[in-house]
Amino acid sequence: MEKVTFTIDGRQVSVAKGTTVLQAAIEHGIQIPYYCYHPGLGVDGSCRVCLVKIEKMPKLQVSCSVVATEGMVVDTRSPEVVEARAGVFEFLLINHPLDCPVCDKGGECPLQDFSYAFGRKESRMEFPRRTFDGEGVRADVDFGPTLMLNRNRCIMCTRCARFMRDVAGDEQIGIIDRGYGSEIATFREEGVHSVLSGNLMDVCPVGAITTRDYRFKSRPWDNPNAVDTICTGCEKGCNITVWIKAKPEWAKGSQLARITPRYNADVNQYWMCDIGRFGYHWVEGAERLSAPLVRKADGALEATTWDAALKALADRLGRADWGGVRFALSAHASHEEMFALGRLAMALVGDAAQSSIGVGWNVSAKPQAGATRFTVPDVDAPNVGGARAFGLVEGERPTPTVASLRAEVEAGRVKALYVLDPGPAGAIGDLSWAVAARKDGRLPLLIAQGPVATDVTRAADIVLPGCAWVEKDASYANMQGRLQAASQGILPPGDARDDWRILADVAAALGVPLGYDSAHEVRQAIAATLGSEPAVAGIAALEFRRPAPAATWLQASNPMERLKWDFLFQDVLPLKFENTRDPGHRAGEKT
Amino acid sequence: MSFHPQMPYGTPQWHRSERVLADEGPPFAFTPENRQKLEEIASHYPPERRVSAVLPALYLVQEQQTHLTGNAMAHVAEVIGCSRAHVEDVASYYVMFFTKPVGKYVLQVCRTLACALNGAEHVTAELCRQLGVAPGGTDAAGEFTVMEMECLGACDRAPVVMVNNEHWHECQSPEAIQALIRDLREKGVAALTGCHHTKE
Ligand code: SF4
Ligand code: SF4
Ligand code: FES
Ligand code: FES
Repeated sequence: MEKVTFTIDGRQVSVAKGTTVLQAAIEHGIQIPYYCYHPGLGVDGSCRVCLVKIEKMPKLQVSCSVVATEGMVVDTRSPEVVEARAGVFEFLLINHPLDCPVCDKGGECPLQDFSYAFGRKESRMEFPRRTFDGEGVRADVDFGPTLMLNRNRCIMCTRCARFMRDVAGDEQIGIIDRGYGSEIATFREEGVHSVLSGNLMDVCPVGAITTRDYRFKSRPWDNPNAVDTICTGCEKGCNITVWIKAKPEWAKGSQLARITPRYNADVNQYWMCDIGRFGYHWVEGAERLSAPLVRKADGALEATTWDAALKALADRLGRADWGGVRFALSAHASHEEMFALGRLAMALVGDAAQSSIGVGWNVSAKPQAGATRFTVPDVDAPNVGGARAFGLVEGERPTPTVASLRAEVEAGRVKALYVLDPGPAGAIGDLSWAVAARKDGRLPLLIAQGPVATDVTRAADIVLPGCAWVEKDASYANMQGRLQAASQGILPPGDARDDWRILADVAAALGVPLGYDSAHEVRQAIAATLGSEPAVAGIAALEFRRPAPAATWLQASNPMERLKWDFLFQDVLPLKFENTRDPGHRAGEKT
Repeated sequence: MSFHPQMPYGTPQWHRSERVLADEGPPFAFTPENRQKLEEIASHYPPERRVSAVLPALYLVQEQQTHLTGNAMAHVAEVIGCSRAHVEDVASYYVMFFTKPVGKYVLQVCRTLACALNGAEHVTAELCRQLGVAPGGTDAAGEFTVMEMECLGACDRAPVVMVNNEHWHECQSPEAIQALIRDLREKGVAALTGCHHTKE
């Protein structure tokens, strides 16, 4: 790679040819504020806060638009730059409502931080501020089904419009009017209707675009923990950060505060879809199962202990029936769970194990513009790649095989159906035939393992409560066949257990122990049997994250915030603009 | 609108924006002739830059029905193959696109420096007095709209009045404007000579 070497603030830096001065500064931890530039959206050159002085150039330059060249001498701290930059900030804040105390971005807002570091101490604006749609949070207006827009806070960086145009490929946001009266808007105020809409909150450097889901829910400092994990909403496997709210155990409300995307150049870049971002409420929803359930003689499901449930299971499943056990496996199951289930099947049905397992998942087309640069795949399950690696499904684009069990079940040839679905309700696909067969007695025994109450668990004889994906360490292979680790962020409710362990417990209760004591041992066993398979290669060495403590919480977030934490706050003294020419103009001294 | 079976989010109307929108308007489609004209204009741009034809398309809408409506803008987007937000973006940027009904003749009086110094305000005042409207308003018969504009690019012949985006009437005075209105009433468009002032 060709390199150029140039000087910033007296430091020699070497960067790849074609890098802009701003990118070089970011890479080398030199503070230059920026708004309209975003690594995922490119250069716009409209906000003007990234001004620097470059020797031999007649005026100050916007560093985001100047490509670094050999021998260039850049100064980001000369008095001229400091003053000009402070001037730009003063203009940005002329009409800004500064309602940080009630603004959702407050605490993680680049406008706050950069203004504090580079702006003037005080505003000289003495006129009423321009407002759109009202004052304060009353100015929050509908911006589609997922978002709210507060135009008073907008600084016209056009990131949102460029995101919709360049990434979503569907230019739903435009800039209405011009100059002083410019507003971000959708056609006739119909709002943003896009499966990528949540990213607009991430790219917006101020609190102008907020999500209905996270609005007023938590302040950044109330989410002191964040865990880097992956989304299991579909087979893309976006890298995400799950934000966990600090909350005493007895307090009401949920712990999951929000989900934001995490940069991964190969998988999701800077983005994620709304299904993954907003579709996590089931994890702490009312339908969660927190104790094993066993159907009593009178037909009602009753909560019980693990010992009792496993004993009931062993009692109901006599040795003679083992050959007639069939498994319905959701592609939401992780590698560990699929492998453990495979082992259990081998112990019960023997050689026919492979064909006793039907794998199910949902497929849904997502409405997206053809020009989108972020395609949300149709397959709504994270681990079809795993099912293929374990030989449970076949082909380049496998199709669900769970329905192949249907004929057997309906003919009454199946003694017991074991359903494992660690996903949200119904993630395994249509199992209504199994429910019907259980109700009319053609299926004598239905065992359901999963985190939420569904039609299947309601019809089941024994229900074993499992974990949602944020409650366990597990591994998945996405549509590229890439092995990824999903790390535990929160504890499962009540007695719910990690799903691989439930399978091991079931095996032990039936007298055919699998012999694993930890998920890590399962992963080692996978590596030992299937080590060469690309979808599992390296599984034994997979690293799982732990919630990051408060001190580094911002590092876990989107690139804006990560940058802020990495670079900005390491500098102790803010680089403030001192109004030396007019020392009398200070609050309190003014007459 | 729901994008995904897992996400049945509704659209609660929490707070509507106060932004003033163009009327929805009656259903709109270009007449075959206008459509043909548009295609002709669009053929001047490279195919991947067809979106550049939004401006002429919006002019054609105004020829066809005097002002822009929501339906018309949506139709333009469809015909051009760009997003509706983009059309609204363009339409709201330029003052020569009208999002409210205007009269048959739109009299646009320049009020920028040269014209202002030469008494443009008297021209506006006279126009408004004669037609009984305020600047920006349309007379009762729906015939004339008076608007104040920024520099029309004919500063050496100030004050300038532009009629319907094509006809410049230069070196205007309150007296001359009376004659213009009379002529327009009597002779219609024929009075719009696009006259460029020649006498010294
Ligand atoms: S709404 Fe946010 S992202 Fe969009 S232009 Fe305004 S400040 Fe930028
Ligand atoms: S695209 Fe798939 S993996 Fe990514 S956020 Fe959406 S559901 Fe999750
Ligand atoms: S970041 Fe350089 S002008 Fe906005
Ligand atoms: S100032 Fe009126 S035309 Fe230029």
